[in-house]
Amino acid sequence: MLLANVVVPSIGFGIVTASILALAAVGFTLQFGVTNILNLAFGDVMTASAFVGYYVNQAGGDIAESILAAAVFGAVASWALNRCVFTPFVRRGTKLFGMVIVTLSVGTIVQNVLLGAFGADFFTFQGGLSTQYHVAGMTFSTLQLVIIAIGVVAMALLQLLLSRTKLGKAMRATSANPALARVSGISTDRVVDVAWLLSGAMCGLAGIVLVLNTTTFESTTGSSFLVVVIAAAMLGGVGRPAGAMVASVVIGVAMEVAATFITPTFKEVIAFGVLILVLLLRPQGLFGQASSVREVAA
Amino acid sequence: MTVSTLHDAPAATTGAVVPLLSVRNLRREFGGVVAVDDASFDVLPGTITSLIGPNGAGKSTAVGIIGGGIRPTKGTVQFAGEDLTGLPPYARAERGLIRTFQLSSQFSKLTVLENLLAAAPHQRGEQFRVLVFGKRLWREEQDRLLERAYELLVRFSMFEMRDEYAGNLSGGQKRLVEIMRALMANPKMVLLDEPMAGVNPTLARAIEGYLLDLAAEGVTLLLVEHELDVVERLSDNVVVMAQGRTIATGSMTELRENEEVVRAYLEG
Amino acid sequence: MSHAFQFYATTLLVYLGVDVLSVWSLNLQYGMTGIYNFAWILFQSIGAYTAAVLTLGPSTANTGFQHFILGTSIPFPLPLLIAGAVAGVFSIPIGFVALRRLRADYEATVMLVISVVATLIVSNVQGMFNGTAGLSLIPEPLYTFLHVSTLSYSWLYVLFTAVVCGIVYIFVHRVTSSPLGRAMRAVRDNEAAAESLGKHVTSVRMFAFIFGNVIAGMSGALLVQFIGAWSPGAWFFVETLIILTAIIVGGTGNNGGVILGALLVPIVFNEATRYIPTSFAPAAIVDSVQWCVIGGLALAFLWFRPQGILPERRRRFPVPPEYAAMAAAGRYPPHDERGATGTPPVAVLASETES
Repeated sequence: MLLANVVVPSIGFGIVTASILALAAVGFTLQFGVTNILNLAFGDVMTASAFVGYYVNQAGGDIAESILAAAVFGAVASWALNRCVFTPFVRRGTKLFGMVIVTLSVGTIVQNVLLGAFGADFFTFQGGLSTQYHVAGMTFSTLQLVIIAIGVVAMALLQLLLSRTKLGKAMRATSANPALARVSGISTDRVVDVAWLLSGAMCGLAGIVLVLNTTTFESTTGSSFLVVVIAAAMLGGVGRPAGAMVASVVIGVAMEVAATFITPTFKEVIAFGVLILVLLLRPQGLFGQASSVREVAA
Repeated sequence: MTVSTLHDAPAATTGAVVPLLSVRNLRREFGGVVAVDDASFDVLPGTITSLIGPNGAGKSTAVGIIGGGIRPTKGTVQFAGEDLTGLPPYARAERGLIRTFQLSSQFSKLTVLENLLAAAPHQRGEQFRVLVFGKRLWREEQDRLLERAYELLVRFSMFEMRDEYAGNLSGGQKRLVEIMRALMANPKMVLLDEPMAGVNPTLARAIEGYLLDLAAEGVTLLLVEHELDVVERLSDNVVVMAQGRTIATGSMTELRENEEVVRAYLEG
Repeated sequence: MSHAFQFYATTLLVYLGVDVLSVWSLNLQYGMTGIYNFAWILFQSIGAYTAAVLTLGPSTANTGFQHFILGTSIPFPLPLLIAGAVAGVFSIPIGFVALRRLRADYEATVMLVISVVATLIVSNVQGMFNGTAGLSLIPEPLYTFLHVSTLSYSWLYVLFTAVVCGIVYIFVHRVTSSPLGRAMRAVRDNEAAAESLGKHVTSVRMFAFIFGNVIAGMSGALLVQFIGAWSPGAWFFVETLIILTAIIVGGTGNNGGVILGALLVPIVFNEATRYIPTSFAPAAIVDSVQWCVIGGLALAFLWFRPQGILPERRRRFPVPPEYAAMAAAGRYPPHDERGATGTPPVAVLASETES
């Protein structure tokens, strides 16, 4: 059927988008869950990581090295931002909304430093790896399969970490009740550091695979994507990595399928439509608990 | 008053006073936890009633339900002959039922005097269509409120602190502001959740005095309280809750003899 | 004064007026009522677009290169007022979605998302407001009617801006210095307590939201009728950050303080960086430096002086002389004597220390 010819491939795109989105949304939600910060600079760190990967590639590195570089940069940059900027502000008594302004300001500075350093033009990042594979009526390039693989592996590893390891338990405890966690002997500082390194790595990964998938990018690419990330994180219940994964699949596939019926540039509006519905009907998201006002951890 | 279990509270008989507040079969669950199971009691007008019980008995939740901030899973709350079910807190306040909070709830960036002025309900000056035409339409109302506020401030010995930001006050002073605010609202009844908690003994004695004065002026009070000697001094009636249920009511002397009550306190 | 300088000055002054209206409007919402309206720029934009389509005349004019809805020519000063009203009307459904009892950063994020969605929709629906290209050739009010030089007209527009600011100020002041203003601040400081004392919290917040956005809409109309053009590039969600920074710098909650902020932040910092010699760096740098300065300012003030340069004023009230005397003597008003059971002397309580 014509519909199958059009809809099924779009599901394929949806899976790729979902993988990228999952990396970002889970990273974002992890930062919120463990430190109670809605990090609006997340998208801009994604962009910065993508630039790092791009220049590694320009300098002769292959795709794998670019991806690795982006992940490492994302991890270190995010960790540093939390250590040097966010946590000090929290310790100084900045409340929830103040932190929004802080993260937004940081993001704006990062984005504009990139703009000033690299100019306003679009960059092209060809990942190569363009052999096409046909699976169940959907078409994927090698690169896209790699992206999906990265997404799936990262999610699986994270789930294992959170549910099976001591560190994971410590992270969940800190996420649920930081004061109690501290009193129980958990080194919440260490947990927070690890959380930001991990989520930062995912941020970097998300940034580079986003750019590889769309091939063109510039200084605002990450922050434009951030809003979809927020939608996925809120749909899944902010602070819940598993929820964010599910939400990413829902939104990713919904966006791409919808794009076959409406103008492609409008597909992001789908994500926002979802978000508005969530807020009206179930603000805590699919898997969250009714939100109570909680001050920032640390 | 006789000791009785209140699950089957008697209807008002001829000559008996109609309760101002009537709580029946309240139930509230949080997740899997039953905070209030089956609470029922009456509060007669012009009296001081204390709600006591071991920790986790559901007293604060019950007060939260009566005040309107928490929605009950089951049960009714009747106030001044009206069913309050479904009414949000501001609607209950407008009907004369004011609740105070256990943790400080002052308006920190308003002065003490402003805290009091803000507490009066039904101010014309709070309506935009009145404001638009200038100050003269609400000045008189504000002057009257100021007078009442000044009276309260002098009575509670806080007059010198009137221009202090409420956020800068000590714990005890904040508690006084809370009580004064409740009074500015001209309430029929005030719900007080542990009004003396964390307050030094001298101030606690003073607050006791204020509460007795209030009752003498006709304000009905429902207190959640832990200190049993305070309860004995203040209360006209005492209601005991344990594990979410109201298990007994009466005077402290009577309740001391009640086996169920004693057991509840021992078992917690 | 040279003509060139005068044109520069008038532009600056009109911008200042628009920014003053902007800070007052966001201050009403954020500073006074604790509404985290990160969609503020959207409402200024609604006002701008409304004024534009009400004055542009039919879209088929000028070879029809612009596609937009409506397209009438409504006489001055109605577009300004209607722009405010339309922004107010849009506040209702948006407020309904976003002003629910959400925690502060949630609310801000929701507003932000709404702002971004709006930009997306307007950019992509060509027929609405001419998409990404935006609207241009928006006529200046009464220009043909007045028959004055462009320079004189600019000064007249400055005067007009000042008059609008003055009139808006009267209303803003009436609200902020009234019991309603006090209720707004009470809701800001402690919603639960305010509600338990009979304040209709949702109504109060909705009012502040609508009233603030009406002013924002008017500021947009004022601006667009001066500069003649408006496009999505003018209202990305970060633009709200400039006004927010102005409020933080000037003094949250203080109407006079925020004027100072409006002067310092948008005008001074943005204009100052304009003079970085272009031989030094390409044009893109100027833009990015300006944003970095804004971001840096916000961070600096949130760190060192979150209350701003001119913090919220303490409100005092006159005391009738008999009260002052009574309080000093430690005596109660006569009709209270009957109730004084067991109340300890004044001195103990007046010197209350942390218990």
